[in-house]
Amino acid sequence: MSRKPVKNSLWADSWKQLRKNHAAIAGLIILIILITASALAPLLTPYSFEQQNLELGAVKPSLHHWLGTDTLGRDLFTRLLYGGRTSFLVGICATAVSLLIGVPYGAVSGYAGGKVDSVMMRIVDILYTMPFTILVIILMVVFGRNILLMFGAIGAIQWLVMARIIRGQVMALRKQAFVEAAIAIGASHPRIIFKHIIPNVLGIIIVYTTLTIPHVMLMETFLSFLGLGIQPPMSSWGLLIKDGASVMETYPWLLISPAIVFSVTLFSMNFLGDGLRDALDPRFSKGKF
Amino acid sequence: MNRFTFLAILLLLSGCAKRETPVETGNREKILHLGNLSEPKDLDPHVVTSVSAGNVISALLEGLVAEAPNDPSLKPVPGVAESWTVSDDRTVYTFRLRANAKWSNGDPVTADDFVFSYHRILSPAMGSPYAYMLHLLKNGRAYNLGTIPDFEQVGVKAIDSKTLELTLENPTASFLSQLKHWSWFPVHPPTILKYGRMDEIGTAWTQPGNFIGNGPFILKAWRQNQSIVVQKNPLYWDADTVSLNEIRFYPIGDHKIEERSFRAGQLHVTGTVPLDRVQYYRENKPELLRLDPYLRSYYYLLNVKKAPFNDVRVRKALAMAIDRKKIANFVTRSGEQPAYSFTPPFIGSYKPPMLFSTDVEAARKLLAEAGYPNGENFPATTLLYNTSDLHTRIAEVVQQMWKDNLGIDIELENVEWKVYQERRKNRLYDIARAEWVADFADPSSFLDVWLTDGGNNHAGWSSARYDDLLKQAASTDDSSEQNALYAQAETILIGEQPIIPLLFLPSKSLIQPSVKGWNPSILDHHPYKYIRLEE
Repeated sequence: MSRKPVKNSLWADSWKQLRKNHAAIAGLIILIILITASALAPLLTPYSFEQQNLELGAVKPSLHHWLGTDTLGRDLFTRLLYGGRTSFLVGICATAVSLLIGVPYGAVSGYAGGKVDSVMMRIVDILYTMPFTILVIILMVVFGRNILLMFGAIGAIQWLVMARIIRGQVMALRKQAFVEAAIAIGASHPRIIFKHIIPNVLGIIIVYTTLTIPHVMLMETFLSFLGLGIQPPMSSWGLLIKDGASVMETYPWLLISPAIVFSVTLFSMNFLGDGLRDALDPRFSKGKF
Repeated sequence: MNRFTFLAILLLLSGCAKRETPVETGNREKILHLGNLSEPKDLDPHVVTSVSAGNVISALLEGLVAEAPNDPSLKPVPGVAESWTVSDDRTVYTFRLRANAKWSNGDPVTADDFVFSYHRILSPAMGSPYAYMLHLLKNGRAYNLGTIPDFEQVGVKAIDSKTLELTLENPTASFLSQLKHWSWFPVHPPTILKYGRMDEIGTAWTQPGNFIGNGPFILKAWRQNQSIVVQKNPLYWDADTVSLNEIRFYPIGDHKIEERSFRAGQLHVTGTVPLDRVQYYRENKPELLRLDPYLRSYYYLLNVKKAPFNDVRVRKALAMAIDRKKIANFVTRSGEQPAYSFTPPFIGSYKPPMLFSTDVEAARKLLAEAGYPNGENFPATTLLYNTSDLHTRIAEVVQQMWKDNLGIDIELENVEWKVYQERRKNRLYDIARAEWVADFADPSSFLDVWLTDGGNNHAGWSSARYDDLLKQAASTDDSSEQNALYAQAETILIGEQPIIPLLFLPSKSLIQPSVKGWNPSILDHHPYKYIRLEE
């Protein structure tokens, strides 16, 4: 395990390396554009995402409706932008939930070691065996359907992976000199974990965050496909793809554009995530993982 | 490309070109492939309620009277009974059973079999959902509810082995048409008793090999969620008329997959047509598309036990704020008719009253009177429906109409079919989508749903006056007087608005040109014994 001599800061160094990775930079730019467009949706389109125009019905892409309209005469471009809001929101919030649980859990487990570690990791193993879909369905039935719950449910599954990764990292760091030094001067355990260890695994956390977000967005799509996700008239990319798929033989444009936008987003995030991994964590570089 | 690859491809191509589709094979071997929409829970005529089970049962069993092949008036024709007489007061029907009517094991079909069957469905312990159909019989209701413990007192009597006498509580004009419903079909007593008690449900008697029927077909195989296969019954009294050798029912719930199977030549007739494909077939292949009037009412149920739906003004406002014509013309677009009554306007001579229309101004006024001006403070409300494109789309449109017209924001909730049924039965909803398909061509088949003790009354609404009017109508023999009573009852129902009628849906299907004898029917019944396949 060799670290570069710290001349420049680690961050500046990483940024330099990331810039060399064209795919990652392209991904970053596309993501910024998509997120901005979604955030500014009301400014970019004269239509409302729920306003129906039944007389119009489904029409092909045109000057008035850049991506066409759906079967209820709603502008697809608008719905795509608003859907992006939902999808990004789900992605980011659910990932945040997974970080909030996973990072402290993994850090404590790795830091404590021994029996505590064994017990905590066995709990993770057990939770890991629970089927995701059934868990979500149960949560939906018990608590009713709402978008916050969905963030929670997805986050509650995703933290398991995060916890395992963080634990591994923390275990390695825990025997290092700076930790021993902190112990020697009498720092409390929480202080050591949160002040000294976690900042050192930040790189890994960022990498896995960028990889978790697309995963979570995909899960939302999957839930929407089962009819468990967002409820109409709200839109999300998952829902748009589902609706598009159901009429693809008659109105193909309703499937094509959401599918392209969603795939491009996933590609971008994965490229960015890979790039960040190479840049921040030299041990995993060169596509070994 | 080397020579072998070339040869292999050639072989493959020629193989493809020659392969016959199931429909082509079926045409040759007289095997009818039918889309049947859902997997029947059971094939016991005294247990099932679904149309898909009814379809299979109509192939396996035959009642006293049957349906003619192509008769829009749906006049009953002789079935197991070759003739019948009616007493002067129109309460006693004496049926003469065919000498050659046999069960598929060779036993003769006797009057005692019918007595056993009616005893069975009326048994209180059985809890049959369709037992109310037999409440027409004298003391049938009392026995079914357990107030009379002695079945001897019910108006069913076997005079001799081939003569059955049915005594009605009151004269009922639609009695013979009601006999066509599967709840009146006979079951084979020794088979029932071999696999369980008389009033036991869910026993093995309906399994292939065990099932003994008296219909034109016998049950050959039942592969869960795959297909139900029935084969021509050589012992059926009218076997000469039956042209098909076999019918295969496929429970394809996904309409798009069903349509694809049809296109791939795997189905002769589909159970329905996907929402967005009707337009396509109408324009490109109209000869394959069938849209026929059907006694099917699509409506929203309101939970009248719950605020704010316990206020009739709210219910009326919701009903009046929906533009049904717009839904029919621009959303569903398959020949649906806007519904302002529960009963379709094309059952015989009955014309349902038109008590309201789309009137946004009046709706807003009513809602304001009820204490929700412009929808302010309207409690959180959820519209429940089972997952399907049609229901979702209609729900989204109605949601928008209520929002635009009344300022009410409701939420949509789609759930899986079984969950939906459970929630509806236990009234765990605010508003729920529902539909009703008539069991026989008479307004009472619709209106009886809302009787206080109607097995399918899921709205929690009841009215003694309504019950009374229907009771009177049931005992009236004069059809114009009867229609007047039905109209009065429906006026109460729609006036109180526990339901919001939306649309009358047609029966939709795709049908291969080789299928002959598949005639339009407002009950969507197509007696299989008359269906022929041409090569």
